[in-house]
Amino acid sequence: MDRRQFLIASATVGAGGIPNVNIKADDTRQPKEFVGVLVDTTRCIGCRSCEVACSETHSNFVPDVKGDNALEKKRDTSERQFTVVNRFTTVKGEIFVKRQCLHCWQPACAAACLVNAMLKTKEGPVTWNGDKCMGCRFCMISCPFDIPKFEYSGWNPRIMKCDMCYERLQQGKKPACVESCPADALMFGQKRELMEIARHRVYSHPDKYVHQIYGENEVGGTGWLYLSAVPFDQIGFRADLGTTPYPEYTREFLISIPLIEFGVPAFLLALNTLTDRKDEVREKDAWTEAGANK
Amino acid sequence: MTSGAMVEYYSYVNIFETKGLAYLLLLSFLVMGVLLIRYLSGPGRKDAAPGKKDPTSSG
Amino acid sequence: MNTATAAIPSNEVVRFAKFLLQELKPRGKWLTPFNIISIPVILLGLVILYFRFTLGLGSVTNLSQQYPFGFWISFDVMTGVALAGGAYVICFVVYVLRLEKYHSILKVTILNGLLAYIFYSGALLLDLGRPWHIINPIIGNSFGYNSVLFLVAWHFLLYTGALFLEFSPTIAEWAHWERLRKFLSGLTLGTVIVGITLSMLHQSGIGAMFLMAKPKIHPLWYSEYIPLLYFVSSIFGGLAMVIFEGTISSKVFSSLIGQKTHHSHDDIILGLAKGAAITMFVYYFFLAFIFIHGEKWDLINTRWGCWYLVEVIGFVLIPCFMFAYGVRNRRFGVIRTAAIMTVLGVILNRQNMALIAFNWYVPNKYYPSWEEITVTLMVVFVEIWVFRWVVTRMSVFSKE
Repeated sequence: MDRRQFLIASATVGAGGIPNVNIKADDTRQPKEFVGVLVDTTRCIGCRSCEVACSETHSNFVPDVKGDNALEKKRDTSERQFTVVNRFTTVKGEIFVKRQCLHCWQPACAAACLVNAMLKTKEGPVTWNGDKCMGCRFCMISCPFDIPKFEYSGWNPRIMKCDMCYERLQQGKKPACVESCPADALMFGQKRELMEIARHRVYSHPDKYVHQIYGENEVGGTGWLYLSAVPFDQIGFRADLGTTPYPEYTREFLISIPLIEFGVPAFLLALNTLTDRKDEVREKDAWTEAGANK
Repeated sequence: MTSGAMVEYYSYVNIFETKGLAYLLLLSFLVMGVLLIRYLSGPGRKDAAPGKKDPTSSG
Repeated sequence: MNTATAAIPSNEVVRFAKFLLQELKPRGKWLTPFNIISIPVILLGLVILYFRFTLGLGSVTNLSQQYPFGFWISFDVMTGVALAGGAYVICFVVYVLRLEKYHSILKVTILNGLLAYIFYSGALLLDLGRPWHIINPIIGNSFGYNSVLFLVAWHFLLYTGALFLEFSPTIAEWAHWERLRKFLSGLTLGTVIVGITLSMLHQSGIGAMFLMAKPKIHPLWYSEYIPLLYFVSSIFGGLAMVIFEGTISSKVFSSLIGQKTHHSHDDIILGLAKGAAITMFVYYFFLAFIFIHGEKWDLINTRWGCWYLVEVIGFVLIPCFMFAYGVRNRRFGVIRTAAIMTVLGVILNRQNMALIAFNWYVPNKYYPSWEEITVTLMVVFVEIWVFRWVVTRMSVFSKE
């Protein structure tokens, strides 16, 4: 073994010994980046083909897009639909926005899940595993976008949210919504590529878009990215979520656990030992006895 | 430029503005804390207030 | 055969079985006021639970997509656990600080804590969507180490075990297993130390669960210090609950309590009230500091600000002063009232965090359904039934 091989080997062994709390890419030899979807709301025509395709793929409720007039109200995703399209009336006209799980890079839901039912897969999509889920709904509390929805009307309830068609991705296909979009508003790919395309569009048409790609840094970065002609808070996005990844908010608490679990018992045992008066009482009794025996 | 950029990028938060107030708060609470402990250790001594000497009274 | 793990002869099993059957027979009157109220509620609760498990949570609760946590979590689990904090505090005082003055209330406080944790973990099972999967985080199927709830769940489990171990000498004494009792008594210091540590972490852990819900909780209640506040409030909430329960128990079960213990009761109450006053004062400092550090003064001028002041002044600061006044002037009525107000304050704080100030800007608010309240009452009543059965048969209260 020459020196180079030795250094590589010891570095690998050393790195393997370091406890890995935040697992990022688990295969460092072939770095794969997370995939995502770019949603260009200036192109969306509100046909809701994505809603139909999504529900058909997942055996969910398929809306009657021709007759239900659903665009007249603002809707949220539900336990029956992973995605919905909403219509916003703005100074730049009608804008249609597709809403679904944003597949955050550091998802709050995955950090919240105590059984890893919510999981950030290594390809990027955040998926839900019914074999593990207890239905505690802590993921719902933690998600800043309020995406996971619960089947309250079932004895065996599921958590329902977009999974970026994970099974289709495994077969080399694209998410059903992306394939079904007739207006090319949805583009699937690696976030790095999507970011470049998004930036290119913004720089090429500076008056058509606001100069922000929603999802670039929000909540630490998300897999789904949005472009818009108007400020994002006008089309139903929250602007107050911050750029800190949400699991960060619990990191300090989680780190302090082993310290407390060691330090407090040690401290309490010390207190108990220091307040032990057995020897003192025994000596005092001995002195008293000696005095009484005189 | 129509910017939807978040204010967080461009603002400056000075945490030291409230530090002075926080130290004042700490000082005042420490003083009040000492007074509270002295208050709590009050009667039950022979020089307690008259009329309250009976230790088994149950208010 | 001098160890507790020696083989148990079969005639001992028979004797214990007969003994247990005898003990299970009810004593006393059937138609006490408490029984008359509690039995129908318990039966109604069981019917509601039948619907809950066959038709789903939505059929009996007002839970929604915007309010995934409801009354069963905010009250049964969160508040129940916070108010059960008396167990670890009294254990700390008696076993670590060695203040023998409080020894006579130790067993009943541990019993109350044990029952609280058993029943409130049970209430949690009722709230889970797929309760049969609760073994997943236990058997190592997939440990979500990154989750605060993982920590809380495990510490709940371990702490219930620790409380059971702390209470087990009393059970062994009741069952006439003297060798076992001696063995279990020797474990006490260890389990107490473990219990205090576990308590610190899961009390603060329940608060830490809300750290990621930052955009959804009203800024007057949200801060990065929520875990610390939850831990401290479990101390004075627990002490207030001990005062409250002790007041009731010493009247209802006075025939079981000896003269000497009755007489020392007043001193114990004064000591607990003193501890509560000091802890609440410290808590108030933390609140004031967080308020200033977060520069929240603009928020006070709103209706939410008023509500916040109601909680922290009306139900923290005022009972704190009442405790202090009651201790100094030996006014036990004032102390009892302060204890009730403190308990209400802890209840209010937990409801605020999980329900009222949660998603505070949403138009469709959550309020508990009558079914949720009935099931909660059922859980509490069954807990009291078990408490009554235990204290009338085991030496929980001191007979001296």
